[in-house]
Amino acid sequence: MNTFQKASIMTISAVIGASALSAAVTMVPALAKTKAIHHDAATIQLQETGSTLLYPLFQLWVPAYSKVAPGVQITPAGTGSGTGIQQATDGTVQIGASDAYMNNQLIAQNPGMLNIPLAISAQQIMYNIPGLSNKTVHLHLTGNVLAEIYTGKVRYWNDPQIARLNKGIRLPHAAIVPIHRLDGSGDTFLFTTLLTDTNKNWANTVSYNTSVSWPNVPGALGANGNNGVVQTAEATKYSVAYVGISWLDNGLKGGLGEAAVQNRAGRFLLPNNATISAAASAQVRKTPKNERMSLIYGPGANSYPIINYEYAIINKKQSSSAVATAVKDLLLWAISPNGGNKANFMTKVHFLPLPKSIAPLSRAQINEITG
Amino acid sequence: MGIARLRSKIFQVAAGIAAVSPLFVLLFVAVVLLKDALPAFRYQGFSFYTGLTWNMGNAYANNVVVHNGVQAAPGATFGILPFIVGTLASSLIAIVIGVPISLLSAFALVYKVPPRLAKWISPMVELLAGIPSVVYGLWGVIVLAPVIANQVGPWLAKLGSVIPFLGGSIGSGFGLLTSGIVLAVMIIPIITATSRDLLAQVPKLPIEGARALGMTSYESMRHVALPLAKRGIIGAIILGWSRALGETMAVLMVSGNASNYLPTNLYSPISTMASTIAALLDSAMNDATSLSIHALALIAVTLLVITMLTNLLARLLVQVGRRDIGTEG
Repeated sequence: MNTFQKASIMTISAVIGASALSAAVTMVPALAKTKAIHHDAATIQLQETGSTLLYPLFQLWVPAYSKVAPGVQITPAGTGSGTGIQQATDGTVQIGASDAYMNNQLIAQNPGMLNIPLAISAQQIMYNIPGLSNKTVHLHLTGNVLAEIYTGKVRYWNDPQIARLNKGIRLPHAAIVPIHRLDGSGDTFLFTTLLTDTNKNWANTVSYNTSVSWPNVPGALGANGNNGVVQTAEATKYSVAYVGISWLDNGLKGGLGEAAVQNRAGRFLLPNNATISAAASAQVRKTPKNERMSLIYGPGANSYPIINYEYAIINKKQSSSAVATAVKDLLLWAISPNGGNKANFMTKVHFLPLPKSIAPLSRAQINEITG
Repeated sequence: MGIARLRSKIFQVAAGIAAVSPLFVLLFVAVVLLKDALPAFRYQGFSFYTGLTWNMGNAYANNVVVHNGVQAAPGATFGILPFIVGTLASSLIAIVIGVPISLLSAFALVYKVPPRLAKWISPMVELLAGIPSVVYGLWGVIVLAPVIANQVGPWLAKLGSVIPFLGGSIGSGFGLLTSGIVLAVMIIPIITATSRDLLAQVPKLPIEGARALGMTSYESMRHVALPLAKRGIIGAIILGWSRALGETMAVLMVSGNASNYLPTNLYSPISTMASTIAALLDSAMNDATSLSIHALALIAVTLLVITMLTNLLARLLVQVGRRDIGTEG
């Protein structure tokens, strides 16, 4: 074979390769936009993706719901809240799951998106101070002092600002290691919202989001996922961290302390069923119709300050009326106290059911879904 | 046309497609990334590479800001110098620690360990190369970080008066040194396995000749085996280095993930480019202006270019080295 023949074969191959590649490229969006597929008249497939905190709950729900509605097949995936919002918005999935509600800018771009609360979650503040175990005491902390710690203004555990909140406790003169979530996270959203609500400087500089530009504190650490935060906190003496409530037992077993956090009424509380439900109930009346609202640092003497709605992110306009009906039925079941909000689902993932009085708002939103 | 010729033509076309596909995949990735990255560069300019602050801006604000025709969330500024420094520093530490160990163990496996024993040890090296990086990361968190914080760090810090970068606060054990060591452990099997295979292919005759001339085993390796396998061994080191540059999960777990400042000493928390992309992608989707995603794409482009440059540099070194020795590996 001469050089010319070789060259022509290479050219042909290159052209074929290029066209195959471009075909693949054009197919990618087509593949990604898999709408709910009707296998046969009886089966409707729904895709769920997003929050890794909600993912275990969906895993519990799916087998239970398959008995309620055998014709609906749900495939859940834990990918992250941002992914959930995006894929629900662009129609890749029918149900997105997010710990944080969509921001105003995103809603303005996609006015057809609904944010429907599915359950209540909470977050606790944990610390690793040798000699200060939960058996003896729960350290008192405020959002304001936490903001000072995370901006590096309060550097030592025996700082007067901390000592003032914890009279009678011997605090060590050891440098505080603030730990934050490195990855985008609903927990970061909750924590930075608390700091924004309680510290002016934080509100003006860092503000709140699922990940923020953390102030430069020497020795401060970032960790990946709640498990990473708990591991890092256990391995790091004199650290402090915010941890999702599902990981509370894990952290306690590892010897971490659990802080009592000051609420708006000035009381220092631990997260438990009573304080979380109190906080949720106190804010039902303030919840707007679109239910996009922070529950952080809410009113009520017995309200734990760091709780939130866990959201389903749904496009009002689904691909067909059959899919719309399937999504509506699933969501109505999910928020029902006899369905997905039943205690045996909730306790397993450390969530609390929605307050009963929130149901009308959610039902009104669910009824907006059409095919 | 006979069936045999047809078969041959099909084979040639198929082989041709396979042969040019790496080029196309690379081009495809580069073009898509560049297109995605462009708005971030228009917004930030060269301060993307010199800036210390990474801030995706306030996505929950009700307004957007516009700079150079690009929309951004208020407060958005993208400086990745700390990520570049973290990536290069941690991978260089890995190379400094990993290469001598790899080469010595490859040499030992080929020339020193009795073949019957080597038959058992050699597959272990490949097994090590196959361990998922998250396992190395977990080992780093549970075992290595505390050892660095409590034993190795304080001991090394005593040298701080001589080498300032070793002194200063040791911190929690999550940082540059721990990342470098974890990466070293990860690349040792890769470099060892590749250079072991290369050394094994060095013809027996020159080695035996060298021994016959009275060279010690060190001399015969240094002056006979190594020059013959040099090109390939540098290739193996580059392979390990690229792995270290791009490693995401293990670094994410042990680096301390600092942003917004440069490492002040050997124990400082750092972040790398790869781990930053992985960690921030989900949050970036919250940015209605999409600029955060463009900025992550620009990090990816940068990482791609750095990896290519290290490869090119290595090839250049190899060519110069070959000319000096005058041997073909």
